[in-house]
Amino acid sequence: MQRAETTCAIVLLILAAVVAREAIRLDIGWGDIGPKGGFFPFWLSVLLGLSSLTILIKSILRREQHEPKPFLPRRRLGQLLTVLVPIALVVPFIAAIGFYLTTFLYLSLYIWWTGKKHWALTGSISILFPAAIYLIFEKWFLIPLPKGMLEPYLPF
Amino acid sequence: MESFANLIYGFGLALSPYNLFIAGMGVFLGTVIGVLPGLGGTSGVAILLPLTFVMPPSSAIVFLSCIYWGALFGGAITSILFNIPGEPWSVATMFDGYPMAKAGNAGLALASAFVPGFFAALIAVLLFTFFAPPLAEFALRFGPPENFAVLFVAFSTLTGLGGGSAAKSLAATAIGFMLATVGMDIVTGRPRLNFDSITLLSGFSFITVSIGLFGIGEILQSAEESLEIKGIQGKVGLKDLVVVLRTMAKNGASVVTGTLLGFWIGIMPGTGATPASFLSYGLAKKFSRNPQRFGQGAPEGVMAAQTAAQAAGIGSLLPMITLGIPGSPTAAVILGGLYIWGLLPGPALFTEQKDFVWALIASMYVGNVMGVVLCLCLVPLFASIMRVPASILTPIIVLLSMIGAYAVNNNSFDIFLVLVFGVIGYIFKKLEYPLAPLVVALVLGDITEEALRQSLILSDGSIMIFFTRPIAAFFMVIAIILFLLPVLGPAARRLRIGI
Repeated sequence: MQRAETTCAIVLLILAAVVAREAIRLDIGWGDIGPKGGFFPFWLSVLLGLSSLTILIKSILRREQHEPKPFLPRRRLGQLLTVLVPIALVVPFIAAIGFYLTTFLYLSLYIWWTGKKHWALTGSISILFPAAIYLIFEKWFLIPLPKGMLEPYLPF
Repeated sequence: MESFANLIYGFGLALSPYNLFIAGMGVFLGTVIGVLPGLGGTSGVAILLPLTFVMPPSSAIVFLSCIYWGALFGGAITSILFNIPGEPWSVATMFDGYPMAKAGNAGLALASAFVPGFFAALIAVLLFTFFAPPLAEFALRFGPPENFAVLFVAFSTLTGLGGGSAAKSLAATAIGFMLATVGMDIVTGRPRLNFDSITLLSGFSFITVSIGLFGIGEILQSAEESLEIKGIQGKVGLKDLVVVLRTMAKNGASVVTGTLLGFWIGIMPGTGATPASFLSYGLAKKFSRNPQRFGQGAPEGVMAAQTAAQAAGIGSLLPMITLGIPGSPTAAVILGGLYIWGLLPGPALFTEQKDFVWALIASMYVGNVMGVVLCLCLVPLFASIMRVPASILTPIIVLLSMIGAYAVNNNSFDIFLVLVFGVIGYIFKKLEYPLAPLVVALVLGDITEEALRQSLILSDGSIMIFFTRPIAAFFMVIAIILFLLPVLGPAARRLRIGI
C-alpha cells in the first residue's frame, strides 16, 4: 500500500507540474479585463503540488509496523481483471462494430464464461437487453447509439 | 403566507398525471438503485440524468430528486435483509437492522427504517418549504465576493470535516477544479489545458466523470470480492407497523433529534446522508439508556440512522436551490443538471422559475409518500433483485453506465472517459482519496472561478475585498477555521496532553 501511495503522490506532483507549465504559457498575470486565463489553473497546480508533496512526505516517513497491507493481493487481482478487461475491450468494440453488436457479444461471453449460465438464458439476455435498449433509446428517447463501421449496412 | 400559496401551486403541478408518472418512475428506479449494491444513488442519478433532456426542467428535477428519495429508502432493504449496504448511507442502518432480521424480526426492522424515515423526510420537507424562500432572499444581497466566500466555505467543509487526510481532500478538490478548467475559457476565448486536442475542447462533463468515478469505480471495487448473496426473507406486516408507531411515540425525542441533525448536516455543503446517518447513530448510542443494545438489534439504532439519512438528503437540496451550493455529492450531480437545463440557482430561480421550484418542493412530499408506500408493500419484489447473479448484473450496469455517458454529448469519447475515470475512481477509493470534493469542485469549478475573477476585478487585484465586506468576511473566517481544523485538532490535543 505504501508503494502505491507514494506512486500516486508522485503522479499527482507530475500532473501539478504539467498544469503549472500550461498555466504559465497562458499567462498568469493581469490583463486589461482582470486575471489572465492561466491565473486560476496556476494556483490550482500550486495547491495540488503542495498537497501531493505533503502526501508524499507523509507516506515516505510512515513505516508500516504491522503487516503491510497490500494494495491488491494476487488472487483479487485475478477477479478484478475478469471484470476490468472486458469493460476495457467494450470501449474500442463499440467504436468499431457499434453498441448493439458489442452488447450482444459482451453479455453472451461474460455471462456464459463468468456466470456459467445455461446458453438459453445467456442467449435470451444477450438479445433481449440490446433490443430493450434499442426500443427505449432509439425509438422513445430518440437518442441514437453508436453503430460503428456497420452503420451503412444495418436496417435501423 | 406566500409560501403556503406557492406550495399549493406547486402541488397543482406535481400532481399532474405526467409529473405523477415521472415521480413514480423516479421513486421506483431510485429504490431499485438503492437496493443494488453495485450502483449508488450518486452514479444512478448521473446515469439517468441524460434521460431528462426530453422533459421540461420542472419534471426533470422531480424525476431526479425522486430517484434520490427512492434510493434513500431502498438502501435500507439490502442492509437489513442481506447485510450488504445498497448505498453508503445505509451502512449505519445495517448495524442494527440485520441483527434484527436475523433474530426473525425482519418486518419490524424494515418498518423501523421506512416509517420513521418517512416522518423524518416529511419534517425535513416542511423545514425546507419554509426556509427556502427567506434563504434565497438572503442570497439577493450577494455579490461576487460573497458568492466566492460561500463557495470557499463549501470546500472548507469538505476538507475540514471530511475526515481522513486533509491533504488528500485538498488534492481531490484541486483535481476537480482542474478538470473544470479544461476547455474553452469564457473570458479570454482561448482553449485551456486541452493540450491541442479538439476532443478536450468541450471540457469534461461532470456526468461522465461521476458515472466513471462512482459507477464503474464501485463496480471495480466490488469485483475484488466475489459476493455470495444469501438473504433473509422479509415482509412488513401490519403488526410491525403498530409496533413501530408505538416505538416512535416512546422515542419521539430521538426521532426528532435524528431528523434535525440529519437536516442540518445535509444543508452543510458536501456532507450528505452518509455522514449524517453515522453521526446520528453514534449520538443515539451515546445518549441511550442502554447503549449495549446498539449493534445487537435495537430498533432505535435503525431509526436514528435512517431518519438522519433521509432528512439529510432533503436538506442537501436546500443550499443547492438557494445558493447554488450542493449539500451532498448527489445534490452536486443534480446541480449540474440545473446548469445543463439553463437554470441558475438562487433568488432568480424563486422569482422567475416558480414552476420549477415549487414543483420540486411539492414533489418532495409526493415522492416520499410514494416511497414509503412502495417500500412497505413491495419489499419482496425489491429484495428479489438481489437474486440476480452478479455475472448478469455487472455487465448490465456497465452497459447502462456507458449509455448514460454517451447520451450526454453523443460522443463516443465519453465512453472511453467513463472507463478512465472508473479506474481512477477505483484507485482513489483504495488509496482513500475522497471523491466528493472532486465532483463538487468539477460542478462548481466554473462559477467559482468566475466569482473569483469578478471579485478581483472589482478590487483591482486585492484579495482584501473578501475581508472588507461583512457577509463575505464572515464566511471567509468560517472557511479558514474549517480549513485549519485538521491541523488545529491534533495540535490542541497534543498541547492538552503536554500540560
